[in-house]
Amino acid sequence: MNTTVLSKPHKLRRVFVWQLPVRVYHWLNALSILVLIATGFFIGNPLAILSGKEASDLYIMGTVRFIHFVAAYIFFFNFAFRIYWGFVGNKYAGWKNFIPTNKQFFKDMWAVIKTDIFMTKGSELHTIGHNRVAGFIYFLTFIAFGIQCLTGFGLYSATSDWWFPNLFAWVPAVVGGDFMLRQIHHWTMWFFILFTVVHVYLVFYHDYVEGRGEISSMGGGWKFIEEEIFEANKKAEEKKK
Amino acid sequence: MIIETSTKRKTYYEELTEKGYSRRDFMKFCTMIAAYMGLQSSGVAQVTEALKTKPRLPVIWMHFQECTCCSESFIRSSHPIVADIILDKLSLDYTETLMAAAGHQAEEAMHKTMKEHYGEYVLCVEGSVPLGADGVYCMIGGKSSLDILHEVAEGAKAIICWGSCASNGCVQAAKPNPTTATPIHKIIKNKPIIKVPGCPPIGEVMAGTIVHILTFGTLPALDGIGRPKAFYSKRVHDSCYRRPYYDAGLYVESFDDENAKRGYCLYKVGCKGPSTYNACGVMRWNNGVSFPIQSGHGCFGCSEESFWDNGPLYQRLPNIAGFGIEATADTVGKVALGVTAAGIAAHAVATNLRKKKMIDNLISEGKESEQELKAE
Amino acid sequence: MTRIVVDPITRIEGHLRIEAEINNGKITDAFSSGTMVRLIEEILRGRDPRDAWAFVGRVCGVCTTVHSLASIRAVEDALDITIPPNAELVRNLMFCAQNVQDHVIHFYHLHALDWVDVVSALKADPKKTSEIAQSISNWPKSSPGYFSDLQKRLTKFVESGQLGIFANGYWGHPAYKLPAEINLIGVAHYLEALEWQKEIAKVHTIFGGKNPHPNFLVGGMACSISLDDASGINAERLAYVGKLLKDAQQFVEQVYIPDLLAIAPYYLDWGAIGGGLGNFMAYGDLSTSGYRDVGNYKFPPGVILNKDLSKIHEVDLRNDSEVEEYITNSWYEYAGGDGVGLHPWKGETKLKYTGPKPPFDFLNTEDKYSYLKTPRWKGHAMEVGPLARMLVGYASGRPEFKEVVDYALSALNVPATALFSTLGRTAARGLEAKLVAGWGLEFYDQLINNIKNGDTRMANTEKFKPETWPKKAMGVGHTEAPRGALAHWIVIEDQKIANYQLVVPSTWNASPRDKEGKSSAYEAALKDTPVHDVNQPLEILRTIHSFDPCLACAVH
Ligand code: HEM
Ligand code: HEM
Ligand code: NFV
Ligand code: SF4
Ligand code: SF4
Ligand code: F3S
Ligand SMILES: [Mg+2]
Repeated sequence: MNTTVLSKPHKLRRVFVWQLPVRVYHWLNALSILVLIATGFFIGNPLAILSGKEASDLYIMGTVRFIHFVAAYIFFFNFAFRIYWGFVGNKYAGWKNFIPTNKQFFKDMWAVIKTDIFMTKGSELHTIGHNRVAGFIYFLTFIAFGIQCLTGFGLYSATSDWWFPNLFAWVPAVVGGDFMLRQIHHWTMWFFILFTVVHVYLVFYHDYVEGRGEISSMGGGWKFIEEEIFEANKKAEEKKK
Repeated sequence: MIIETSTKRKTYYEELTEKGYSRRDFMKFCTMIAAYMGLQSSGVAQVTEALKTKPRLPVIWMHFQECTCCSESFIRSSHPIVADIILDKLSLDYTETLMAAAGHQAEEAMHKTMKEHYGEYVLCVEGSVPLGADGVYCMIGGKSSLDILHEVAEGAKAIICWGSCASNGCVQAAKPNPTTATPIHKIIKNKPIIKVPGCPPIGEVMAGTIVHILTFGTLPALDGIGRPKAFYSKRVHDSCYRRPYYDAGLYVESFDDENAKRGYCLYKVGCKGPSTYNACGVMRWNNGVSFPIQSGHGCFGCSEESFWDNGPLYQRLPNIAGFGIEATADTVGKVALGVTAAGIAAHAVATNLRKKKMIDNLISEGKESEQELKAE
Repeated sequence: MTRIVVDPITRIEGHLRIEAEINNGKITDAFSSGTMVRLIEEILRGRDPRDAWAFVGRVCGVCTTVHSLASIRAVEDALDITIPPNAELVRNLMFCAQNVQDHVIHFYHLHALDWVDVVSALKADPKKTSEIAQSISNWPKSSPGYFSDLQKRLTKFVESGQLGIFANGYWGHPAYKLPAEINLIGVAHYLEALEWQKEIAKVHTIFGGKNPHPNFLVGGMACSISLDDASGINAERLAYVGKLLKDAQQFVEQVYIPDLLAIAPYYLDWGAIGGGLGNFMAYGDLSTSGYRDVGNYKFPPGVILNKDLSKIHEVDLRNDSEVEEYITNSWYEYAGGDGVGLHPWKGETKLKYTGPKPPFDFLNTEDKYSYLKTPRWKGHAMEVGPLARMLVGYASGRPEFKEVVDYALSALNVPATALFSTLGRTAARGLEAKLVAGWGLEFYDQLINNIKNGDTRMANTEKFKPETWPKKAMGVGHTEAPRGALAHWIVIEDQKIANYQLVVPSTWNASPRDKEGKSSAYEAALKDTPVHDVNQPLEILRTIHSFDPCLACAVH
């Protein structure tokens, strides 16, 4: 992690940060999670439909569940792919961005919290990929993804004959039955809701206060990085070699 | 006069023919049992053969912390021939609910079986065992249930845990579990244990479980938690005849409303069928007459672990302790969402104040560029 | 003097221990102890009052339903909920089915082996048996062939060597007095009753979804009446209930009552044994016009003191100086000390075991010796149960009660004083089953009529949501359980259960002594009971079984 006090005016370099697979992953993930939240909410607390129609003409819950499960499959394989990409992708996609492996990681996290959350004046910490706090939150998010997949497929296994969901048939026993499983699944949903709200806000925040094209980076893959930071990073890379 | 008992044992087939049942009756019974156990038609022959040749099985049935409704359910097992065999034709050598002898004579009968059929008898347990306070919360004949359980489990070939009490502690183990009620599998570790949960389990499920052991001399296939797969592998929800209403999105909103009269799904008045493994939807109760959902009340998951603490009954989600009576995960989630939104708003305002200079710089930088462009 | 212990008392529900002192072939003192506790009252604290019925239902699977019924009534009382007439009727029907079933099971499966010698039945003459059977009843299963087949089956069973539940019984004990033929009839009906009991239970399955432990609902019942839907209470379901009720009445009138009247004459000496307290109490139940309408109860409420049938005292469950529970001799402690009695709304249930550490031979009956509390009415020990109900009904001058009681007294040719006894208790239970089986059919007709008149309401859910409740509410719900007067007291605060207390029939009857050293019903009834052989406590079983003990209930 390289820090530099920035000077005005900015000289920006265009840096390719998010590879196409990461971007595709991101939006597929975002979309499927939004669908899973919406359908999950409905499954948990369906609307009152005082319809005069016959049950045979309606299949609302069935459809909602179907969408939930389709989205769940997309979500799962997309997630699995991202884990793979954490090993083969570029350095901004690597798993080291997420998983704290040394003390420096936590020190940098604290620096980010100080500047971004408590807004103490002082050195702004600028990074190219995820900042440390973001990276760590994504790490927690990935764990939550895992929990949601385990609990979701654990629940799903009882209704499926396919071998894949049945790989998860052991899950209910671990937590003491489907009831607890559903609760965990439901609680974890709230993590995603809160994450999404904060995440989207912070993305806008960074875009606004830093002006580096944060939002568009998930579209085209490019970020605009200050000359100083770019150079500092370059030096650090060379040193390593 | 106390009649001396010998150990000569008869097969079911002998018993039955002596009692005047025809071969046809016998075959009918075997077919039914095979069907219960989900066997193909070839299995019928196996059942028939087994019941024709296997001798009777001694059974000791203990009562600890319980309400005896499991015994009651057992005697409701409805296919007459099953009740007959299980009740009269099993050698039910000890069961406080029905046995003629009391006190010392009762204990004597039990010890005789424990000795003469060491390693052979099946131990049925109805009820949980309180572990704390030297076991004084359940005592029989001046001994603690804990000591009795260890003693009688010793020579048992297998243990059947009847009902939720023995399988998961049931009502007395609900919070705060003041008597330290403990299910059997947490105490006896060195014996095969079959759990037949339910409060109570369906009579025919109980009969079916025993009959499996009689027939094959092996325990029925068990799931990950130790329940016979034959009866506990499907959720109530998956075999519920109201399921089309669930899928259609048609729900009872409150008891006895128009939707209830139409027989809509009970999901929104708290039905726990979607997370409950039991045979109620398939076999129904009391010889197929009805089951909770058919009679308008949601399933409350009486065969699941800690179902008493997963209430309230009439809500899909449980309340979260410490958050007031109606606080579910959603209530907490909504509050958290509100707090987050407020935090974000505050942060946004603070950003514009504290980082005003930096933002102003960015803006002026942008404006300068704009000017430069205009100038050109 | 010999002190004997009978533990476990079998053919009851639960864990009951009797210690008795015997002098010259008679019991001179007796102690009754419940030795298993679950503390369900404590487990209820802080829970949703609407759920309480399910928890307390699990107090007992033998008298299944009665606690649930008392519970929903207590909550409805606290929240001032009036339920629709159909729900009252359905609850009454479930009451009747339960009462009759429980009594029949008690008589044949829990009590009969105290009077019927199974082994002696082997010597019966099937032809003579058939003649006797046909002379006492027109129950169809009574041919010589039927009895000889049964006898063969029984012989084979005994010869097989594995006596199962009959092993080690007191067969051949001189206190068994029945001729072999009547013993054989008893065995036949033991098996038939076993078949039948699972049929009448289906009334519960239809309205409550299952038995044991059918479902109830605060505000009414969950089973909607829906004549146009396969899943509601419709014509087919109602016809089913009607048939079950008629079959039940037939079983009681053609099997139970005739057997009772055939067996009793051989044991008339037991009409002078086991009388006990002489104080009787009933809360009453089974209204034709709603539970709140006490005046229309089929079972009238009231208290009889000292066998004085000329005066009926009133019972008020809300009055805090009437029903009180003591723990002087029970393994609990009260904040206000061991000497006080607490009305259930202020009741406490805090365990404190002070008995011997197991394994032990004897309890220390000088000190606390049971998990039952000791309830008292205005300080008096009370016997509750079918005998109490029959006496209160009789003393209230109700013609239906007079008719059956007088019929039985004249059939057995005994004076009314014979009612205060072990035999009286057992006979009262049968007579009650006869009344209740008839009433069931009356309630059934009423239900059909209501529906015919277009009333299909089954639940009142106006106050189902906790938001509609007051901040604090107190209620009491009562019923007449098979074993006697049952009531639950509830205190609701902030929509949660702040206190919940059950005072149960077997608690009244089986409790230890009170602070003045006065015995409750079991102990009092055992006094003076003869014991022929201290190693074969058959007589103790007779008197204790005549109460139909349920210890899971009593301690809860
Ligand atoms: C971010 C991801 C997800 C969210 C937010 C989510 C949310 C939810 C919610 C809120 C419920 C209702 C739970 C209740 O109230 O009882 C639900 C049900 C369910 N979800 Fe998910 N879910 C997610 C992912 C998954 C995945 C990956 C699967 C895997 C198959 C899955 C399978 C299920 C199943 C089987 C149910 C139960 C449906 C039923 O029984 O009708 N979910 N989900
Ligand atoms: C308007 C909507 C969104 C925008 C503009 C957006 C933008 C971004 C951006 C710019 C990043 C990179 C941030 C960084 O440098 O740390 C990112 C990362 C991420 N976002 Fe979003 N996001 C959106 C919605 C979502 C949603 C709904 C989710 C899922 C709940 C989500 C999950 C993630 C995750 C897991 C990452 C880390 C990606 C990785 O490195 O694999 N995003 N997002
Ligand atoms: N005593 C008692 Fe019960 C009854 N009858 C309940 O109230 O048996 Ni289990
Ligand atoms: S499992 Fe339920 S029904 Fe069976 S004994 Fe326990 S409390 Fe009673
Ligand atoms: S009533 Fe219960 S079990 Fe049946 S479909 Fe509805 S939720 Fe599922
Ligand atoms: S409550 Fe129990 S009885 Fe069956 S329908 Fe549910 S598992
Ligand atoms: Mg009590």
